[in-house]
Amino acid sequence: MLEYIISKYNFWIYVILMMIGLYAMMGKRNFVKKLIGMNIFQSAIILFFVSTGVKAGATVPILSGHGHGHGHELIEVAKYINPLPHVLMLTAIVVSIATTGVALAVLILIYRRYNTLEEDEILKIRKDTGV
Amino acid sequence: MKVIALIAALMTGALLIYGTEEMPDWGDPNSPASSHVSPKYIQEATEKTATPNIVTAVLADYRSYDTMGEVVVVFTAGIGCILMLRKKRKGEGD
Repeated sequence: MLEYIISKYNFWIYVILMMIGLYAMMGKRNFVKKLIGMNIFQSAIILFFVSTGVKAGATVPILSGHGHGHGHELIEVAKYINPLPHVLMLTAIVVSIATTGVALAVLILIYRRYNTLEEDEILKIRKDTGV
Repeated sequence: MKVIALIAALMTGALLIYGTEEMPDWGDPNSPASSHVSPKYIQEATEKTATPNIVTAVLADYRSYDTMGEVVVVFTAGIGCILMLRKKRKGEGD
């Protein structure tokens, strides 16, 4: 039982993080809190992917002494963790930074026009003024 | 509304936790993610690209077009922020 928990608890932590982010995106009324929820969601996904690359007892995928001209000794695959999730999550981090920046710029525009970032207040103003 | 959001989040989480039963164990060297494509990269990347760091080799050599697309993403985001936040000249509508 304990072994089962140890082998799976990382996924449960990411699911809980994802639930926090999802609830913040749907349940909160403040736009900044929604944006923070989206960031938590993205962090959960990134952590999940990085954790799929882990191999127990392996080290970072940097090979020293295997370059050109060092012969063709066989590289033990189990000694180095999986590099591909790290690469893909670098791309995902860049995209998440870009979306966060654009979203914050949009929030600044919304605040300039309505002087509030609360969803229900903005909807009320739009209803009252007919815009 | 908040109750619906909470129920939806909890149901999604329950489904995903049910799904983790089929996931490979943490740190398993024979997990599907580590046993199909990545061994080839670990064995050949340094030889083919002369880069000891495999992450760098994949990012900037095998997937360099992807990285160029990333630069386009960041550039577009920056241009979007500038267009949205710049000071408006006189006579321009808001």
